[in-house]
Amino acid sequence: MTEARDVCLRVENVGMRFGGLRALDDVSFEVERGTILGLIGPNGSGKTTMMNVVSGVYKPTSGRAVFEGKRIADFPTHEVCHLGIARTFQVVKPFASLTVRENVAVGAMYGRFGAKRSGKDAFARTDELLESVGLARVAGRPASDLTIPDRKRLEVAKALALDPELLLLDEVMAGLNHTEVDEALHLLRAVNERGVTLIVVEHLMKAIMSISKRVVVLAEGKKIADGLPLEVTSSPAVIEAYLGSRFAKRQQQERERQT
Amino acid sequence: MKAGAAVGRRAGITGKRWVFISTLAIMGLLLFVPSFHNDYINLTFRNILMYAAMSYGWNLIGGYTGYVSFGNVAFFGIGAYCSAVLSKTGIDNVFADVGLALVMCALFAIVVGLPILRLRGHYFGIATLGVALGLTDLANNLDFVGGSGGLNLKQADQAHFYLYYYAMWAVTLVCMLATFFIARSKLGYAFVAIRENEEAAQVLGISPTRYKVIAWALGGMMGGAAGAVFAPANGFVDPGTAFAVDNNVFPIAMAILGGMGTASGPFIGALLLSGVNEILQEKFLWLHSLFFGAIIVLIVVFLPRGLMYLVGLRGGVRRWLSDLRAFRV
Repeated sequence: MTEARDVCLRVENVGMRFGGLRALDDVSFEVERGTILGLIGPNGSGKTTMMNVVSGVYKPTSGRAVFEGKRIADFPTHEVCHLGIARTFQVVKPFASLTVRENVAVGAMYGRFGAKRSGKDAFARTDELLESVGLARVAGRPASDLTIPDRKRLEVAKALALDPELLLLDEVMAGLNHTEVDEALHLLRAVNERGVTLIVVEHLMKAIMSISKRVVVLAEGKKIADGLPLEVTSSPAVIEAYLGSRFAKRQQQERERQT
Repeated sequence: MKAGAAVGRRAGITGKRWVFISTLAIMGLLLFVPSFHNDYINLTFRNILMYAAMSYGWNLIGGYTGYVSFGNVAFFGIGAYCSAVLSKTGIDNVFADVGLALVMCALFAIVVGLPILRLRGHYFGIATLGVALGLTDLANNLDFVGGSGGLNLKQADQAHFYLYYYAMWAVTLVCMLATFFIARSKLGYAFVAIRENEEAAQVLGISPTRYKVIAWALGGMMGGAAGAVFAPANGFVDPGTAFAVDNNVFPIAMAILGGMGTASGPFIGALLLSGVNEILQEKFLWLHSLFFGAIIVLIVVFLPRGLMYLVGLRGGVRRWLSDLRAFRV
């Protein structure tokens, strides 16, 4: 790597405690502009907590997350999207009584460029977006009527309506079948190609390995690996975290026997 | 075609378009009430309009923003006392009354709203109860506003008595139109987003406290304007009339009956519930409050989303029952 690394998000020694529980413990990593970073880890490893720290929902108890030179914790939650950070929720949160189109329009009205947009402009921007994420066909339906894959799409569309530079995706592929996962991956790649940096939190190893340019692995609140997808999956620490220590040991022994 | 479809898709936030147009038509008819030259009819319809205006006020915070207030009578009372105090200083002008009420109610909403609207969910409702009770007590003990004895206002002479009816009509019309246009604007979408999911709204760039205070203040101004016209029309204000329990409960029940979070609901609710109340008072002089209370309970149980919901209902009784189930534990 000869070119200078162009970092947009820097997570520095972030720790997050909830009472006696240490959800994140001294986690640091950097995210380059334009990349797709996978953030993985077993249940309860702190992935969603990290998403909440980076999106400004939680203020970390130690360390800091810095986006484009600004400390995220210095801003109230509703202003973080004006910095250029958008997120989706693992448990989707549509505005149930509004239509799909209105749901997305709310993002366009109050997001990064929302102050400059009239209601009409926001709806115009929304119509473009709905077309590009494949929701135009259900634009007039109430959000509560959508199928699971469409709800996930809506969640992504709402986040994109904020015109983000960095998009945090919290398990947008959970609960989707094979074809739907492929469609979702296709959509995320297209979003990334338009210049949006992505952090993808996911349980599905296969999906995340195929899309991520770099992967960070968390386990019990600590970072245990950080590198290219292939490097990370062969790391003993990662295998141990995912499959248990006995399995890791056995695999280690097998590998030794083979050599 | 596209533009037409776009308007249709926004209908969810104000209610059905033809319902709103019908509502405006009924408002138009109400302009002719004074031509009956009957004081009873005049008073009855002025009260309906007054309750409608207060219901619109409650609807912005309780219906659109989803923060149920049990203290919106505070604004009505402030408005009424604004007129009374102006009258005491020799100013008897409905425009001045309403103007002062709007300013005072907006200020009061901001000063009280900033701390209590930081609270999420039910705590706001509990705090608003305290606000209404506190103001009643304050009015009872301030000699400046007549204490528990109240204040008399100078009324327009009999020839111009119907002026108050027209003033109340105008206040209600403005509340109705303001609700319609606010709901369809960016502001309305911020309110509804907060109601539907405050956390998601926040992540989309909406400051919950700011927009909750705006909704409360705008709604408060509506209630205040109604109070400001009521006081000179009534000719007398004391804590019992300004902060009456009925004035607190009726507007809420009316918004629920008509349909919370719609631009026609409060007016339709006010019209129907006032009508029912009149009939009950005539038939059951002693127990009418009991029947009225029972009707409110029935509405909440069987029509929690109001008549506007029935108008938009497709799928008949079956759909209605399954939607009802969604409201239950």
